[in-house]
Amino acid sequence: MRALALGLIASVLYLGVLNLGAQTDSRKSSYFNMSRENQRMQDDLSLNPASFWIIEGQGLWQNGGLSGSRTCSDCHGDVAKSMHGVAATFPKHRGGSLRTLQGQINHCRVSYQGLQAFDYESKPLLALLSLVASQSRGMPINVSDDAQVSSHIERGKRLYNTRIGQLNLSCAQCHDDRAGQRLGGVLIPQGHPTGYPIYRIEWQTIGSLQRRLRNCMAGVRAERHAFGSEALNDLETYLMHRANGMLLESPGVRP
Amino acid sequence: MSVIADALVTVPTTVIKGQIFEIRTLVRHDMESGFRHTEQGVRVPRRIIREFSCMYNDLEVFRATLYPGTSANPMFVFYCRAEKSGDLVFRWVGDNDYQTIYRKPILVT
Repeated sequence: MRALALGLIASVLYLGVLNLGAQTDSRKSSYFNMSRENQRMQDDLSLNPASFWIIEGQGLWQNGGLSGSRTCSDCHGDVAKSMHGVAATFPKHRGGSLRTLQGQINHCRVSYQGLQAFDYESKPLLALLSLVASQSRGMPINVSDDAQVSSHIERGKRLYNTRIGQLNLSCAQCHDDRAGQRLGGVLIPQGHPTGYPIYRIEWQTIGSLQRRLRNCMAGVRAERHAFGSEALNDLETYLMHRANGMLLESPGVRP
Repeated sequence: MSVIADALVTVPTTVIKGQIFEIRTLVRHDMESGFRHTEQGVRVPRRIIREFSCMYNDLEVFRATLYPGTSANPMFVFYCRAEKSGDLVFRWVGDNDYQTIYRKPILVT
């Protein structure tokens, strides 16, 4: 009886916390807009096709690059330990410039491995990105907004609110003002980048946040910014910072 | 690319005799339908997996024929009854002499 009473009190407290959470944070990952099947596909790595990229990333981590050059594991050791939580803190300011996670991987390639940088959206870069990002699965996004990063966040925010393209739409007009409504038959998400890199079923492959952003730019018939450009990096920084505290789902699955 | 990176198979390592267990397979393949064109208008040739089969101790327990409408990285989930310890052999065969074979031992107690 006493145990039951305690249990009741505990569940009331728990519900209270949940309610509080709902009141203070209306942000929602588009994970919750997906069908149960797609959610399961994301949650279970034996069903998530992104696992292939993680496996390939593990191979590159251990013995990537040319013979004689250092590998990722030579410096960082076990990826599960050294990269735990790392992806949740990117983009960040390092060595005098803003670095996205892709930028950081390529920085390591060039500066410490003496190899050529990977092309954006190339298979090996997405593989390493998936591997590193998956080490932060379930951790809260925690992008710093110190003085050096905040200018990028500001610029990203400005881009987010600027109308672009022939359709003359800003990101905010759909993803802030009309989130939860429908565009054609599709629910408009709030646009939190919690799952990147994602396996997008429409793409039939894995892709980065910047690929998704370029998709939207093409959608409003604007000129697309180049991968790794300052504009896309700023936008990525703003969106990640906007999602601070939300849980990283990488590698996500989206329809 | 090693064989392991081409297929992901999830099967319990030990099962009780008579028990029905789940088999999950996921294989990496682009499944190029043959209906797409490049930006220059050249048709991309079809390159898909045509057949998938699963043998349990030399007995075929599952077979599927795949067509161009099948998505990339096709997934199959099916069930099988445990009879004897041995091997599950999964085989994907497709265009351009594509073949992936994956063997998974299973212990029946």
